[in-house]
Amino acid sequence: MSTLLELKQITLNYKNYNTSVEVIKGIDLKINSTEKVAVVGKSGSGKTSLIMLMAGLEQPTSGEIIFDQQLISILDEDQLADIRKKKIGVVFQSFYLIPNYTALENVSLILEINGIDNAKQKAEDLLIQFGLKDRLHHFPTQLSGGEQQRVAIARSMAVKPKLILADEPTGNLDSENSQMISNLLFEYANKNQSSFVLVTHDLKFAEKCDRIIQIEDGNIVSL
Amino acid sequence: MTNQFFYALRDLSRSYKKLFSIIITLFISLFILSLIINLETGLKKELQNNAKVLLGGDFEVDTRTKQIDPNFLNELQKKSIVSSTIEFSTMLTGSLTDETNTFFIRLKAVDDQYPLYGTVFSKPQNAMQRLQSEVNTIIVNRKIFETLNLKVNDTVYVKQAPFKVVGYVDTVPDLGRALLFGDFAIVSNRAFEKFNVTSIGSFVNYEYKVKAPNKDVLEFVYEKLKQFPTYKIRLPENAANNLKRLISNFSEFLSLVSISAMLIAGIGISNTLISFINQKNISIAIMKSIGFKSNNIKQIFYIEILLLLFLITTLAYVISLLIIPLANNFISNLGLSLESQFSFFNYGLVLMTGFLVVIIFCIPTVSSIEQIKATSLFRNIFQLTRFQFGTKNILLIFMSLIILLGIFLLRSDKLDYTTTYFIFFFIFCGVFFLLSKTIIYFLKQFKKFRFLPLRFAVRNIIQERSVFPITVLSLGIGATLLLTLTLVGTNFKRELEKSIPEIAPDFFYVSIQKDVKDNFINYLNKQDPDLKYETVPIAPASVAKINGVDPLTYIKPSNDSFWVLERDRRISWSDTPPEDNPIVEGKWFDLKSDQLQISLDAKVARNFGVNLNDQLTLKIYGREMTGVVTSLRKVDYRDLSINFAMIINPKFAKKLPHEYIATAKFSDKKYINEARLVQNFPNISGIKVSTYLGKITDLVNKIFMAVVIISSVVVIVGLMVIASAVIVQARLGIYQNLIFKILGLRSVKLIQANLIEFLITYISIFMIAGLFGIFTSEFVIENIFRLGWQLEFIPVLNVLIIIGALTLILILINTYRFLKPSVYPMVRNE
Repeated sequence: MSTLLELKQITLNYKNYNTSVEVIKGIDLKINSTEKVAVVGKSGSGKTSLIMLMAGLEQPTSGEIIFDQQLISILDEDQLADIRKKKIGVVFQSFYLIPNYTALENVSLILEINGIDNAKQKAEDLLIQFGLKDRLHHFPTQLSGGEQQRVAIARSMAVKPKLILADEPTGNLDSENSQMISNLLFEYANKNQSSFVLVTHDLKFAEKCDRIIQIEDGNIVSL
Repeated sequence: MTNQFFYALRDLSRSYKKLFSIIITLFISLFILSLIINLETGLKKELQNNAKVLLGGDFEVDTRTKQIDPNFLNELQKKSIVSSTIEFSTMLTGSLTDETNTFFIRLKAVDDQYPLYGTVFSKPQNAMQRLQSEVNTIIVNRKIFETLNLKVNDTVYVKQAPFKVVGYVDTVPDLGRALLFGDFAIVSNRAFEKFNVTSIGSFVNYEYKVKAPNKDVLEFVYEKLKQFPTYKIRLPENAANNLKRLISNFSEFLSLVSISAMLIAGIGISNTLISFINQKNISIAIMKSIGFKSNNIKQIFYIEILLLLFLITTLAYVISLLIIPLANNFISNLGLSLESQFSFFNYGLVLMTGFLVVIIFCIPTVSSIEQIKATSLFRNIFQLTRFQFGTKNILLIFMSLIILLGIFLLRSDKLDYTTTYFIFFFIFCGVFFLLSKTIIYFLKQFKKFRFLPLRFAVRNIIQERSVFPITVLSLGIGATLLLTLTLVGTNFKRELEKSIPEIAPDFFYVSIQKDVKDNFINYLNKQDPDLKYETVPIAPASVAKINGVDPLTYIKPSNDSFWVLERDRRISWSDTPPEDNPIVEGKWFDLKSDQLQISLDAKVARNFGVNLNDQLTLKIYGREMTGVVTSLRKVDYRDLSINFAMIINPKFAKKLPHEYIATAKFSDKKYINEARLVQNFPNISGIKVSTYLGKITDLVNKIFMAVVIISSVVVIVGLMVIASAVIVQARLGIYQNLIFKILGLRSVKLIQANLIEFLITYISIFMIAGLFGIFTSEFVIENIFRLGWQLEFIPVLNVLIIIGALTLILILINTYRFLKPSVYPMVRNE
């Protein structure tokens, strides 16, 4: 299997007034194509910071990030946006759907900005597959938490990205919905041949992955 | 870009309610601008379309105070249709014996060709036919007809000569200044010989209107004029210059008011927009997380704003077009009729103005989108964005502002006034902004207050995103403008009213011949032994050249002193400078010299670019005579005594044919008997000053009301801006209010805090706007109108109290809505 994502000696400092906090302390990590990796650790250990670095939403203080054979840690915000648009899907704990867009519009948006034809139809097909046939034209406030997260996952999967990053996707859901969401994520990650990085506190969920990484105080303590 | 347009359209259709204050403020200011521009264009176009009607012919040969050469007239009549009219000033009375109303009128003697263009609307309709077919008939204007309670076939007297009234007329097509505002009557030109009109004092004018079959006639006349250098040709484009100047001045002022409203609206737009962006920060962060670039999102916002601008401009423009026909009620007496007509240029001008204002105020707001990060989604922490300037943005704003001001300056006929207005506008903006920052600075030094509402109020003012600077700026400018106009208006009215008893004479008398002058004065003295009078000699003259150049080639009709060039003026002479005309530059005449010396009105000199020792060539009785400007006088026309723009040296003037003009102030009104005076001195005309001042005051009142109403737009827009700012702050304070609620704080404390905040805000505006209003009104009254200025407290207080009360109500209404937030949706993060 080829390497999809590689982090080399990555550090990340947050500056707060005159103090600087080092949240990632020289991490080396490789993620292969189609590999499923779970990231676990205590609150404040650096899990979310790590996933933000992988998404190109945060620039490392030092080190290199290579994604799909391209050094992305030196790219500007717009170039990173282009990569994210085509190759990376992100799922959040709080779903984060656009409030004044319907479920269908939330999903078709990503297809449209990628210039994909029949965006509406494809988004609709995907949402139907996700069991949301009757919720296509509902706004996020009219959906339950589980339904909102299904829309969010459909949005992240819509362009069949090479990498899916999920930050505690079941953190706000009950066990029944959590199960459904984890099944969906794995099913579609496999179907699309996507790599998958999952930040979670749920060990059962983590165990479904090929590999579990534990983070503690900004360092990977076990692979 | 297509996608961005689509997203913008969708977002706008769902979020437009959140942009309500932008929609309203933009609409009000764009509507006023559209209305002013369309009215101005409509009026100018109507004047242009009716130019031949207003002139009375394809062109006019103006022979001034002399009849046209009969041979020339014969030749002209062979080539075209000629209508000869003679206009002069005289007295009309209803009876020669009774105490009755006497009118100083402009009498128009017309031939049977009149009018060559347009129609005389008379009642009964056959009045014009009777005028030409019956001898000694007259048509008077409606006011004379009604005031004298006349009926058709009644008799009136002009210079003692009886005339049968055959009807009345509302307006004539060829409007001159005198016919526009004063009383007038029409007789046939056969009757003219009866009047024994003198050429100077009666302001007689011979005009020959020509309807020419082709252009050759005009060329023939131009050629012929080489033999008659005193004759002048007037073309249709020069018709109704006074009316054009009035329209231009009025619309220029209102355009400046509307651009002020737009600039103040801009503050509200940026304020509402940043609130809108902050409400959408999650959406923006999400869009960024899925691959949108900041520029893509900014494009969407710009498209939304521009779409809104396009729709609002179109609506404002269309509504202004629909309203324009209503203006016809006010201008029907001018014989003009406005039509609504779409003009791409005007629409483009309004759209461009709106676009530039929106761009100026949206650049730092929309750029703040760059501050929203997708990483916020992981942390669930969203910080409010702030205006983003930076070199590139500042340059863009500056360029847009220059273009915006450039548009208004290019359209302006009075560049100096417009420039001064903008300079003052921006200085005042700067001062109000600095005032707000200074107050914040001082409050920060003393922020530990024990009284809880005072502490809240001070905290609200000094907090980072306080609406305090915006409130002070927008309300300050609005209040200053309205206060200035109020003080200008009240001073103007007071000066006009007080000048009647204190300064002005009761009567002006014109057409006093040398041989009757002493008799006339003796007669008046007999009537009233305490009579105060003044007589001065007059002769007609026109300015032919300034330093050897014809001034009409470079001085535009929009020039404030153009009236001096328009036609013959009356000049006078005197051994000493007039008492109320102090010399501001140069010396009075060398009385021994017989070379022409001229003393000129200093304002006229400034407007024409004339300095001491410059050469003026005057055309006096057809002869050009060149003299030197030896002094400049400050002429105060408001005192309504005898004032001249030009006075010449007596030694030069002594050989000139002349007559006299007099003023008289009676010690008691019982001595005034106009009818008897007309009987004894039929060739002398008397102008009752109070009648004319009444007309001017009436006109000023109407204009003043219109100006105040339209200027109130600035205050309304200012209030809208404040309302939007208060809504934004109230929304930002909603979490604070929620915590207060949970802690058990009563709403009354928050209302008290609001009241204190209002008082701190308003007292500062009250003081500075008051000072600015006083300063600018004094400047306008003393330097532009040249009247005496006096501070009037009551109108100032009225304006400030009204603005204050409206602001307070707005603040309380808006704040009340956010005083009791529901806990549930907030804890659910909705």
